Amino acid sequence: MSKVRVAVDIGGTFTDICILDEATNTLRVQKVPSTRDPIDAALEGIAKAGVNLADITLFSHGTTVATNALIQRNLPHAAVVCTEGFRDVIEIGNSTKADLWDAYQDNPPPYIRRRDRLTIRERTSAAGVVERSIDEAEARELAAKLRKRGYRAVAICFMNAFANGENERALKAVLEAELPGVAVTTSSEVLPEIFEHERFSTTVVNAVLQPVVGDYARRLQDRLAAGGYDSDVLLLHSGGGVMTPKSTDRQAARLASSGIAAGAIANRYIGQLCGYPNVIGFDMGGTSTDVSLAWQGELLTTRDWYIEYGHPICFPSIDIKTIGAGGGSIAWIDEAGSLRNGPQSAGSDPGPACYGRGGEEPANTDANLVLGRLGAGLAGGDLGLDVARARAAIDMRVARPLGMNVEAAAQAILRVANANMADAVRLVSIMRGYDPRDFALVAFGGAGALHGAAIAADLAIPKVIVPPHPGVTSAMGCLLVDIRHDLLSTYLVDSAVADAADIEREFRVLEDEARERLAHEGVAEASMVLTRSIDMRYGGQWRSLTVPVLRPFTNVAAAVEDFGAAHQREYNYRRNGAVVEIFRLNLTAIGVTPKAEFARHAPGGAMPAPRSTRSVTFDEGIQETPIFWREDLPAGVAFAGPAVVEQFDATTLVPPGARAEVDAWLNIVITV
Amino acid sequence: MDKPVTAANQLDPVTFEVLRNAFVNIVDQMAEQVRRTCYSFVVYNRDFSNALCDAEGNTVAQGNQDLAAHVGTLHYTCKAVIEEFGADIHPGDVFLINDPYVGGTHFSDTRVLLPIFVDGRLIAWSQANGHWADMGGSVPGSFDVTAKDMFKEGIRVPPVRIWRKGEYCYDVARLIAKNTRDPDAIIGDMDAQTQAARIAERELKRLCDKYGVGTIETTFAAVQDYVERAVRLRLAELPDGSWETVDFVDQDPSKAEGLIPIHVKMTIAGDAIEFDLTGSHPTIGSIYNSAFGGTFAAIVSGMKTFFPDVPLNAGLYRTVTVTVPDDTIVSARWPVAVTGFVMCFEKIMNAIFELFSRIMPERAMACAFNIEYLQTGGYDARGAGRPYFMLYDWLAGGWGGRNGRDGLGVTASCFGVGLMIQPVEGQERLCPVRTDRLQITTDSAGPGKWRGGVGLDKAGTILDVENCVFSYFCDRERSVVWGIEGGLPGAPHGLWLEPEGEPARFLGAVFSDVPVGKGARFWRGTSGGGGYGDPLERDPERVKEDVVDDYVSLERARKDYGVVLEVVDEDLAEYRVDEAATKRERAHIAAARAGWLDEDPEQIAARYRAGELDLHDVVRRHGVICDWGTGELLANTTRDFRAQMKARCLPSWN
Repeated sequence: MSKVRVAVDIGGTFTDICILDEATNTLRVQKVPSTRDPIDAALEGIAKAGVNLADITLFSHGTTVATNALIQRNLPHAAVVCTEGFRDVIEIGNSTKADLWDAYQDNPPPYIRRRDRLTIRERTSAAGVVERSIDEAEARELAAKLRKRGYRAVAICFMNAFANGENERALKAVLEAELPGVAVTTSSEVLPEIFEHERFSTTVVNAVLQPVVGDYARRLQDRLAAGGYDSDVLLLHSGGGVMTPKSTDRQAARLASSGIAAGAIANRYIGQLCGYPNVIGFDMGGTSTDVSLAWQGELLTTRDWYIEYGHPICFPSIDIKTIGAGGGSIAWIDEAGSLRNGPQSAGSDPGPACYGRGGEEPANTDANLVLGRLGAGLAGGDLGLDVARARAAIDMRVARPLGMNVEAAAQAILRVANANMADAVRLVSIMRGYDPRDFALVAFGGAGALHGAAIAADLAIPKVIVPPHPGVTSAMGCLLVDIRHDLLSTYLVDSAVADAADIEREFRVLEDEARERLAHEGVAEASMVLTRSIDMRYGGQWRSLTVPVLRPFTNVAAAVEDFGAAHQREYNYRRNGAVVEIFRLNLTAIGVTPKAEFARHAPGGAMPAPRSTRSVTFDEGIQETPIFWREDLPAGVAFAGPAVVEQFDATTLVPPGARAEVDAWLNIVITV
Repeated sequence: MDKPVTAANQLDPVTFEVLRNAFVNIVDQMAEQVRRTCYSFVVYNRDFSNALCDAEGNTVAQGNQDLAAHVGTLHYTCKAVIEEFGADIHPGDVFLINDPYVGGTHFSDTRVLLPIFVDGRLIAWSQANGHWADMGGSVPGSFDVTAKDMFKEGIRVPPVRIWRKGEYCYDVARLIAKNTRDPDAIIGDMDAQTQAARIAERELKRLCDKYGVGTIETTFAAVQDYVERAVRLRLAELPDGSWETVDFVDQDPSKAEGLIPIHVKMTIAGDAIEFDLTGSHPTIGSIYNSAFGGTFAAIVSGMKTFFPDVPLNAGLYRTVTVTVPDDTIVSARWPVAVTGFVMCFEKIMNAIFELFSRIMPERAMACAFNIEYLQTGGYDARGAGRPYFMLYDWLAGGWGGRNGRDGLGVTASCFGVGLMIQPVEGQERLCPVRTDRLQITTDSAGPGKWRGGVGLDKAGTILDVENCVFSYFCDRERSVVWGIEGGLPGAPHGLWLEPEGEPARFLGAVFSDVPVGKGARFWRGTSGGGGYGDPLERDPERVKEDVVDDYVSLERARKDYGVVLEVVDEDLAEYRVDEAATKRERAHIAAARAGWLDEDPEQIAARYRAGELDLHDVVRRHGVICDWGTGELLANTTRDFRAQMKARCLPSWN
């Protein structure tokens, strides 16, 4: 049997397994229900696909283990030790709420309760001068208390430790000596960055996840090894790269968005493959839709993310906007008579009315079914859909109250849903100075291909790309990543007096650390790629912008000019002559892993006859529409809408007036 | 491009819902732009708001993340501009206004307004409002609590043009900026807000291209009707009747001690609601007065808290009638000082919380802590340049106990829940002030069956400075945060200062220009929220959990809740409820507490001075208010405070 690469994406309902055959470069997919121990489903799916663990050359993995542990507070007994007077930083947060007006809505509580937040006397000044050192005796007394309480993990978070971590290191040394086996992390090693709430919060998330992720990675690695897999497990993290289990001690919190990063990576990759460096990823599932954006081949990133409001995780993360709209979103009429869509979702149980599992409220899936856009079998026919129930739900809840017929009501439901999703895409594109007309929309997820063309039309996006396996595209993203670390150094100076040589020295320090980390993970020097950027802002402004810079760094003025141009693009204006402040130096360290190469298919196949036809209602009217089976469509064929393309994991809708063609990688590219 | 639409009721449901969301989306895009490019740290920390108004100035959409205190005021300032310029409004114009006497809030809230023209016709306005860090006036930050009229407060900007037909009016912009302490930042914020307003223009024009300008204008009216309909339906479901209460500002510093009443009477009749503030005190000799705009904002914000999912637009405002005679503390007119309008704003809002709690018990809530704002200004003597520095610092605090759960802890004030507190590390880097602690205050929460949320305690030390002064903008040192349904008060506000080598002294909750030197230590706190329900009915296990977390002390578990705990293991923070002792203690308190509220206040003050009673005993058990520094009784204040406390407690204590 030939060698394969395997990517596993574990979701709440299904575990998707993507298998790339290295000899033929062809992709296979396997979908199995998720299990209580997620590793069971992964191994079961691999076995079901007939893959021998010993034949796997590379195993990469996106997991919701960390996310779920946080949300369910299924965390190890952990403590945080703070500077005396500052034990409540993670509870105070920035003092705001997710919903400003609902006084009965509470923020999620901190990951470490107040009883487990202890203090010690110590202080470092804002300039990094130690004003009060750790008292050895007090530290030992504290250690005794921590031991008595039986914590598995301890975070150390001191004020101004970003400027000097000496006191944190001193306490860590004592605790490691006194508390063998307890994971001790400090804020100065996890995120040496100014602003205590963000740093403490990130450090605490890291501390509580470290045992969770460490245990999980070890168990996974052991079970794979027992079956004959002899490389590292690669874990997908927020930055769009992977890490090996060896890096989870300092970076465990980066796995908290492991589950959603893969889709964005796949989006970027597909865009590159098809010659579209600017792509918007539209990953629409049952209950939510993830929108990502790549510009000139790079995914937008942010440091402003969290799993639960009020508890930031400030490692750089792919910027993904998740909105509560999906195939299962429910249409309803509000008290004042307006037709709304979501955010409530029918979920998978009971699911939309057409699932026939007791759902009585009409979901987007019901509307698609009633209009014939969706056929009566999902997931390859395993699950039959009940058109009559869908009609009844729409009739009762929407059509009658609005005085419409069922078809008109179903169209209304979908137009509202599509407009809401288009608004979300607007927030990530137009808002940041990107014009949708410069992009292609990559539509995937269970429902993305059904809605993609309508969203694109609304936004004047000219092309929609539907990848070969829309339902498992996220898992495929896991096959496409490199080992990646993001390092940073707070560096506050007015650009007018900045010394390029000093900045160069600072970058070298970061590079040394980056090389050490990659080497630790077994990356050869030749496979290391280090790239630099600087965060800058106008003096007095509060938000900074990131500008890439070259190695070696010699020219501050050029960087300032690039900053002005970026500000103009992103915010519509620049202030020539104003003070520009350097805020932070960033280094991205990539360890290039062997990449999947998808098979290229020569064009020339003939356009197949449709498997069937059915009557489909479009905004343009009812049309008898050909239904194609995706696997029948070879590379190079082209066809005009209206058309519906069905496959096991998704349905693609090509509306009237649009044209579609199948490219060399078997993507359907729709010109809207 | 104009698609015919004959009447509002013929708007199809899809177009309506799509455009309704699109308008909000436009305002969200404006907010994102302002926050990313602003200069004022106050704006950055979310003291801003944006709106899309129709051609008459009525608000079509306001951001859901906007500051509460701006809600319901943006349409007034838009109408003020329209009234001033009438037909003299042209494409390419941009206007500026901060005038609180024509519907604004206070001078710091400066609004940029852009008229949007389609086919040469004015169809809408976009408006971006931000709190600028300094407007000039007698003190840095423009909050001089001793001001009695506007001339000490800052520059008043009536409606003026800052862009004329596409030409920047540099002279006007400079005239305004040069009257402040940081002209560059003011110009920067003006730019940022203007760009935000332009984004709305661009996006609205896109919608007009797609749907036709007629449809857009029809929908402007329809979304206001929609909100009005939603609110009226809910009002109609509430019982008809009148309810009233009174809350207090602490004092008129220019007069003898005594609480300053704000009366609120709410009447619901069918699907309409009226608020009558008649009986409120005349304007006072400080900046703690509100003009009508700020008062109206408080009323609609109070209502919005009980209908949180209703979108903000003029349709909501149409359901409300406000009655208030001129020249009261909540209806001040030019030139009375109104920079501190928020003190009245929060009293009105909390009064409305109390009134709605009676008719919507499922969303009931006791009083929240009061906003506070410490300004430190002087020369930073740490380095060579000796630059001037300004440190504006505000805290979060506790909100009132709720029906079935404790209050929100360490949350921004109801003036604007989105207002973030600032990082200490940022402050220490910029200013010669070190923070020695910033933590939750044990026992700050008002006791109740459901206690208030917890408040904060912040202490600091002044480092190397020259000519440095403090001003403090706060309230509820005397009109202490109150409970409802038998719940008890939180804790008094106020700041303590301990100059190097001198004893600490209490400066209270409102003062201006107090010199502070190197080595001075200072501390102040925020109250927790008021309690909801009788604290003797709180589950002893909950009290125990609060003690484990240090939210409540062992001592106050006994005194406030009648819960007696045994320490099992202090290292492990393990306690056990002593059931028998708890039963006895609760019986004792229940029998005695009504009497405690009638004990001679002079005696209570004397025992406080002697150290026999502490602050919480004096306020929570006896309803007595003193000068917290000297311990001297404030007799008038105590009389009114006690009367309200009895009204809120005695009927629920059985």
